[in-house]
Amino acid sequence: MEFGWSSEEEAHRQGVRDLLAATLPPDWEALAVHGPGSDFQTDYSRTFCPLLAEKGLLVPNWPAKYGGQDAPVWRQFILGEEMWAANEPRGAQYMNVNWIGPALMRFGTADQLERYLPPIREGRAIWCQGFSEPSAGSDLAALRTTATPVEGGYRVSGAKIWTSYAGKADTCFLLARVPASENGPAGKSAIVILLTDMSSPGIQVKQIPALIGEGDIHEVFFDDVFVPAENRLGEEGQAWEIITYALQNERTGIARYEFSRRMLDRGVARLKAEGRWADPVVQERAARALMLCEAARMLVYRVVDAKAHDLPADAFPSVARWAVVQADNGVNDFLTEFLPDGLIGADPVQLAHHQRAIAAGVASGAAEIQLNLIARRWLELPGEPKR
Amino acid sequence: MNFEPSEDQASVLAALDQVLADFRAPPVEPVASAYSQDLADLLAESGFLDIAREDGFGPLDAALVVERVSRSPWAVETAATALVAPAAVLPAGGGPIALLEGKAGGPARFLPVARKLVFLAGDHAEILSVRPEQVAPVESLMAYPYGRLQSPEDRVVEAVVDAVPIRRRWRVGLAAEAAGAMAAALGVVLEHVKTRHAFGRPLGAFQAIQHRLAMAAETVESVRWLARRAAWSDTEADAALAAGFAQSRIAAFTYDLHQFSGAMGLTLEFPLHLWTYRLRALAGELGGASIQARAVAKAVWGDAA
Repeated sequence: MEFGWSSEEEAHRQGVRDLLAATLPPDWEALAVHGPGSDFQTDYSRTFCPLLAEKGLLVPNWPAKYGGQDAPVWRQFILGEEMWAANEPRGAQYMNVNWIGPALMRFGTADQLERYLPPIREGRAIWCQGFSEPSAGSDLAALRTTATPVEGGYRVSGAKIWTSYAGKADTCFLLARVPASENGPAGKSAIVILLTDMSSPGIQVKQIPALIGEGDIHEVFFDDVFVPAENRLGEEGQAWEIITYALQNERTGIARYEFSRRMLDRGVARLKAEGRWADPVVQERAARALMLCEAARMLVYRVVDAKAHDLPADAFPSVARWAVVQADNGVNDFLTEFLPDGLIGADPVQLAHHQRAIAAGVASGAAEIQLNLIARRWLELPGEPKR
Repeated sequence: MNFEPSEDQASVLAALDQVLADFRAPPVEPVASAYSQDLADLLAESGFLDIAREDGFGPLDAALVVERVSRSPWAVETAATALVAPAAVLPAGGGPIALLEGKAGGPARFLPVARKLVFLAGDHAEILSVRPEQVAPVESLMAYPYGRLQSPEDRVVEAVVDAVPIRRRWRVGLAAEAAGAMAAALGVVLEHVKTRHAFGRPLGAFQAIQHRLAMAAETVESVRWLARRAAWSDTEADAALAAGFAQSRIAAFTYDLHQFSGAMGLTLEFPLHLWTYRLRALAGELGGASIQARAVAKAVWGDAA
């Protein structure tokens, strides 16, 4: 047991920092305030990610046979930590690297691998995930969008909501339900995953004005959209297994606490500059926020370490996610109380962090769902009877 | 980065578990605190508490021992001997050691059974030998044996040492001890809510209870890993952060565990207090969470610009 970095890992982290310093435009902080889903950042990712790919820093975690380097889990994670701390210059493409690519490798056909992996590993693919619906958010299995089997594929009708990056995405990792038939599959077994071309006729994307920044959430309408059968990922009935696998990679893929930690450092620097740091109350509250960040860091590291050791999946990622939500909100609460002008024009970067923080407990499934999972799968408490 | 125990650590902990196996059951009689001289003697004889002094081992291994022993319902002194004594340049095998800060006549954990007292007074610490007749036991709800020096003004100081490493290791020990006590306390309540029924179902099936226990589980894990990291790095910042985090969570954590135990949790017969009242004692040590937080701020960000 030890909690330090090897010299290779230190050098790798420094290399990523140097690359960011040398590559990002001087006014990056100001440009990136609208978040990874903004038009600017999505477009920027189309030049930044190919550069990462060229330097072997986009998909080092992927197996060599798919264009990666079989890099250790920690190497990829350090990269993600530095990227998120820099307000994610990979834009939406972090998703591709973290979970869409790995899900395709595990469950995709040879044709799908050939079609979808090269654009991802070369840094020129924008995906969105068509999961949530107006009546199915955290309760994902309640989704209603239909995929009616027709000759050669499916006809998709329905609506998705809160879809990040949809306005710019080339492809949607879409969940839909095959309509119930007598003796046919129902519930989770009726869900299929369709890798849907976002330029297909019948798809309409509408951005939703929101508190959390530009381009982060959309409504996506599917009106009798044809998706060829060869675009179905996995077998009919296998979708839930694939989603579970994919979400395990998604939920801890983002080092949110690292952005919060750096925002806290930044806030302390501002407080010092304003001559307010000597106040012991300010120091105490800053440190309490820091404690939350460091607790989240250790729990996320524990998840990454389990992956590095190839240990069987457990419910610990939910424990870590709860801590991450506390950390994001703890830092946001501190900054909102002690540097309120940051949210009123003085610091667009603080505003960007605020926007990430208020979504932390909602995005990727409500934090309370994580508490349910901890209770049921980590503490092995009995289920609440269905009403 | 490696969260898995090394082979050496795993074998030490397995051996320690064998010793602790005879001390899993709480005392039969309802008592406010349960000190076991037998367990203290066994730990001292077997050398577990001197592990930080062994080649190839260090404070992390000592913290793992402290954490593990703290899961026992029996309170024995481990943190001061295993973590503080090596930093205070005290010889091996000198425990039990009591730790005290503030007033020389104040109550100290383990003082009635201690052979040494480390008294933290500002930027220095006094080392004293203690004889039982110098100590007046103090009755309290806190599940440790407490005592105070009868005549603190007559104390004979054997050595004066730097307070910094002592305070640092005290914080690490406090966090490790809290981690063990929290894990055990949560275990007791989980067992209770799985077996106790109300309104036709187990208490643990109510979501209102599940969510708070899930949050308690996050607290246990956070305290555990922050304590271990602090022991490993042995830095001021990590030590104060681990202790401060643990202390900041103790009030809500212990409240919830007692709440879910109902009136049973208010009795001495139900063993929960043997851990929660150690935790409540730890919550106020070294000035409590606020003082630890200020130490963190100073260590991480320094004084005013």
